[in-house]
Amino acid sequence: MQKAQLNWIKGLCLGLLALVFFVGCGKDSQPTKEEDSNAIDRKALLANLADNIIVPAYADFKLKFDVMLAKSDAFAAQPNNANLLALRTAWQEAYITWQKVELFDFGPGQTFAIRSQFNIYPTSETVIQSNITSGTANLDLPANYAAQGFPALDYLINGVANSDAEIVTYYSTGADATKRVNYLKKVIAQMNTTFTSVYNAWEGDFAETFKSKTAIDAGSSTSTLINGFVLNYERYIRSGKIGIPAGVLTPGTTFPEKVEAFYKKDLSLTLAKTAQQASFDFYNGKAYNANTTGYSIKSYLTSLGAKDATSGKLLADIIAEQFEACARKLDALNNNLNSQVINNNQPMVDAFNEMQILVKLLKVDMTSAMSITISYTDNDGD
Amino acid sequence: MLKAYLNKTQHAAPLAIFRIVTGCMLFLSILRFWSNGWIYELYIKPKFFFSFYGLEFIKPLGNYTYLLFAICAVSAIFVAIGWYYRQASVLLFASFTYIELMDKSTYLNHYYFISLVLFIMMFLPAERYFSVDAHQKKEKQATFIPKWNTDMLKLMVFILYFYAGLAKLNSDWLFHALPLKIWLPARNQTPIIGGLFNYEITAYVFCWVGCLYDLSIGFFLWNKKTRWFAYLSVVVFHGLTAVLFPIGMFPYIMMATALLFFSANFHLKIINYLSKIFKIPENRFNTNKIFNYSPLQQKSLVALFTIFLALQLLIPFRYMLYKNELFWTEEGYRFSWRVMLMEKAGYAQFTVKDDTGKAEVVNNQEFLTLLQEKMMSTQPDFILQYAHLIRDTYTERGYKNPQVYGDVYVTLNGRLGQIFVDPKVDLAKQKDTFAPKSWILPLNDEIKGF
Repeated sequence: MQKAQLNWIKGLCLGLLALVFFVGCGKDSQPTKEEDSNAIDRKALLANLADNIIVPAYADFKLKFDVMLAKSDAFAAQPNNANLLALRTAWQEAYITWQKVELFDFGPGQTFAIRSQFNIYPTSETVIQSNITSGTANLDLPANYAAQGFPALDYLINGVANSDAEIVTYYSTGADATKRVNYLKKVIAQMNTTFTSVYNAWEGDFAETFKSKTAIDAGSSTSTLINGFVLNYERYIRSGKIGIPAGVLTPGTTFPEKVEAFYKKDLSLTLAKTAQQASFDFYNGKAYNANTTGYSIKSYLTSLGAKDATSGKLLADIIAEQFEACARKLDALNNNLNSQVINNNQPMVDAFNEMQILVKLLKVDMTSAMSITISYTDNDGD
Repeated sequence: MLKAYLNKTQHAAPLAIFRIVTGCMLFLSILRFWSNGWIYELYIKPKFFFSFYGLEFIKPLGNYTYLLFAICAVSAIFVAIGWYYRQASVLLFASFTYIELMDKSTYLNHYYFISLVLFIMMFLPAERYFSVDAHQKKEKQATFIPKWNTDMLKLMVFILYFYAGLAKLNSDWLFHALPLKIWLPARNQTPIIGGLFNYEITAYVFCWVGCLYDLSIGFFLWNKKTRWFAYLSVVVFHGLTAVLFPIGMFPYIMMATALLFFSANFHLKIINYLSKIFKIPENRFNTNKIFNYSPLQQKSLVALFTIFLALQLLIPFRYMLYKNELFWTEEGYRFSWRVMLMEKAGYAQFTVKDDTGKAEVVNNQEFLTLLQEKMMSTQPDFILQYAHLIRDTYTERGYKNPQVYGDVYVTLNGRLGQIFVDPKVDLAKQKDTFAPKSWILPLNDEIKGF
């Protein structure tokens, strides 16, 4: 008996040694990762997302943002109808493109709290008005998050008066005109400062840092990007754009005035669809500037072999199909979500319910299959 | 025969070393906990705490929680050096156990293990040798102590491993290599062995070796001939888990605890070594006196530890009183040495409404921390406690007889997620008891085994 035990232990030790040896050798015989989309390869994942999606997306946003910056300077220098229309077009282009970068809620985007300064809505007319009057508002303060960014600009160029002529007057005549122009400039300047920080970080060292953190513990790139991506979809696409205005979180009451781009009216659905598509493209690893796809979250999930045990269907495909189902529900909506909620809210609720299914797949099934940690303390797995 | 066994003696050195090691380890654990900011994060910041059933009076003490940890740390040091050992060991057990019972979101099996060990330690003469107490009072010294003292501790280690091994005898672990099949590929960047984790076979090897290890290690440690090999495998096994998983101090505690199995000579060597460092004259503590409990003490302790052991052997099997799938409902899951068996994740959202037509989807962040929400979303007893918190809070907010409905979605060991809680059941009306919870929907699968 004892001898047998001894042999068993010896066997175990030998086995472990063999294991270590096997690894040493195994390293060389591993498939080279470049072309192999079946490999469990976070390095390829991070490289594709950073090089082909995130950096080009920020670069594109910078183009659109700089146009908006120039147009706002022109309008500030000379508030007239033509300059207002030009600013408005530039604002709209930039706002749409913003939807393609808002989901990067990790790394510099998170560090500089860019979303909080770019897209908190509904914007607060009261705070904006008092900021205009005082002229000294500190836009870094969270109390001012709802008085800046795209939603504040929406109010400032679409909502301060009923007609374009009156809006031009608002900035060109009267005692407060200068203060108003100054606040418009201040909002844009704040956005410029914050975005420049984020942009410079990605253009600088951050992309390399991001690509090199290939572990999966809390704080690793994969973990933070998945957390940021899922959070963005859950809270800022599903709830923010659809659920909250539709009153899903407050059964019996709707909030049509809480739609995105409330003052512009007909832009809200475009923004929602753009954000939905950007999330899907990010999931698929689709290049920002081309029609090609690279190693993606979807590839990674596929390589892990996560599937529904009963049907044998890949989780990666189940999620992709759900993204498409959500897009179809958005297609059924009116361009103006505000009037959609007021006149026929049910399609909004339907869209939310479809997105809710996707949130569960992303937040529960996907993160679990990837073994993504969201906790910061120890656990023993139970 | 029992009497003969109880009268057997052994050298006091192993227990003294165990006392020192345990005290130091706990002191370091508390220090680490404190410096990571976890006291604030886990026990002061949250607005709500998930009490253990029947122990609702055990709660964090606001800012005094720091004092509680300080008491725990200081008493750990006193235990380590064996100064006022009686008082310090009671204080250490009480403070440590109180801390672990404040919020079950932080429940870990190894904390439970430590509480049990500290409980046993309160009754052992661990301060009679190589301690400040023995140094100060010569009449308290003893070189020999009852053999059952360390056997009791070894038995606890044995139970921990053996039951952890039994728990691995299930179809998910053995035949599907779950959850390791999920966890290992995520760690494929681990130096040297990481590449192996890309292959599914590795997860199977780890599962089977891990199970055999847990079931057999107790025997091998106990047996003199296999002890060194067994200890080596303890170091390799726990070393590996320390590298792979965020399990904190646990691997090191087990490595240190397993030293207990070594002979008195081995421990005397350590003591000689320590004596040199601290310039303690050799043979300072070697009086050759034998420590004996009084007959009354002996009788009481035999009764106490018989009950204790019986409970230890039975408690892990209480899950058999429940019909539902253990991993799914977790009825009878804790306090059973079930470690690393599940990859479970969930999503839980609650709607509260009342007769007057008021309704709202509850924002979990208003009440729970990230960790609490994560724990709550997969464990039915948490879900019910939380539903009751919602009920009570919304009653205060003017809801009349609020009803609480859950939209809870859970995935277990890679199965596609499914609805966890019957969405039609008003959780506000469900009572929190040990009875089976009928409102948990059954898992669409079966996990065979222990």
